[in-house]
Amino acid sequence: MALSLSKGGNLSLSKEAPGMTKVLVGLGWDARSTDGQDFDLDASAFLLKADGKVRADSDFIFYNQLKSVDGSVEHTGDNRTGEGDGDDEAIKVDLSKVPADIDRIAFTVTIHEADARRQNFGQVRNAFIRIVNQDNNSEVARYDLAEDASTETAMIFAELYRNGAEWKFRAVGQGFAGGLKPLAESYGLKF
Amino acid sequence: MAVSLSKGGNVSLTKEAPGLTEVVVGLGWDPRVTDGQEFDLDASVFIVGENGKVLNDGSFVFYNNKTSPDGNVVHQGDNRSGAGDGDDEQVNVNLSGLSQEAKKLAFAVTIHEADGRKQNFGQVSNAYIRVLNKADGKELARFDLSEDASTETAMVFGELYRNGEEWKFKAIGQGFAGGLAPLASNFGVNLG
Repeated sequence: MALSLSKGGNLSLSKEAPGMTKVLVGLGWDARSTDGQDFDLDASAFLLKADGKVRADSDFIFYNQLKSVDGSVEHTGDNRTGEGDGDDEAIKVDLSKVPADIDRIAFTVTIHEADARRQNFGQVRNAFIRIVNQDNNSEVARYDLAEDASTETAMIFAELYRNGAEWKFRAVGQGFAGGLKPLAESYGLKF
Repeated sequence: MAVSLSKGGNVSLTKEAPGLTEVVVGLGWDPRVTDGQEFDLDASVFIVGENGKVLNDGSFVFYNNKTSPDGNVVHQGDNRSGAGDGDDEQVNVNLSGLSQEAKKLAFAVTIHEADGRKQNFGQVSNAYIRVLNKADGKELARFDLSEDASTETAMVFGELYRNGEEWKFKAIGQGFAGGLAPLASNFGVNLG
């Protein structure tokens, strides 16, 4: 039975699903656009060290860099219209392959060309992120983002992180009004 | 050796720091990098008597009342964003100067305007509260607020209490809904 988290909450995946190594992180949303332009939300993952920064550009997994160097994190591809029920985009994580110097993986969603298209998260409803155990397809945890975030164009949905010997999942739901650039810079990427 | 406390944990200071006379309560957190209002955490100390209530209103030491009437508990100042390395707020406590009426010191941490700002400890990065032995700077106890108090907005971290000639520390980790005001009322402070 999936555990539902509220903002700021965390839970232990090692306790909820002992032995789980292959995880599907599913992200979904409903987009309502008032001006007819495509509403293209992109999920990404950032592999972060204990200091909260990436080791290299290759730690930023997104639609143009689908797989991490060690194969531990794999993005399953870009959905450009939000069509389809359930997860709109998904990122697979093999917890057993995540390198030892990676302490956290942040899962983010950004709006493609948000400024040019004058779009923001205020137009997004029913956003969620969930953890699915790939061994048995069961949903282990879920965070439904409830709040409006009308000035933000990039959002950190949740994090997978190490806590001692365990892997945990934390509901974040915090964003940046400036979009992908300040978000990526906060993780140590340089443009 | 610092004891890292999870909820309900306990530590006896008798062996950790025999003859403890002064402690520092340290509160730290990372400033917010995401959009939204700053995370403003506040440390406070309640000097409590036999009946579990503050000795007087001045015995509630916090950002608007930085020095206790006897001068033994001194708040070093309000940090409103978490900027700066190490502890962002500190309260110095001179145990040896306290009157015999003072039976316990309760240490609390709250998020300023948590309800209005819709914030909780889990949203703050690297928030902790700890107790140091002032004599040698050694950490006696520590609580990870971001991890273990994640959906709380106010918390009584622990208590120092008299045991004969010595002071012992009990970890509490009890959350409070509603913030600093109900927490202070709980300790008998008249908020007027």
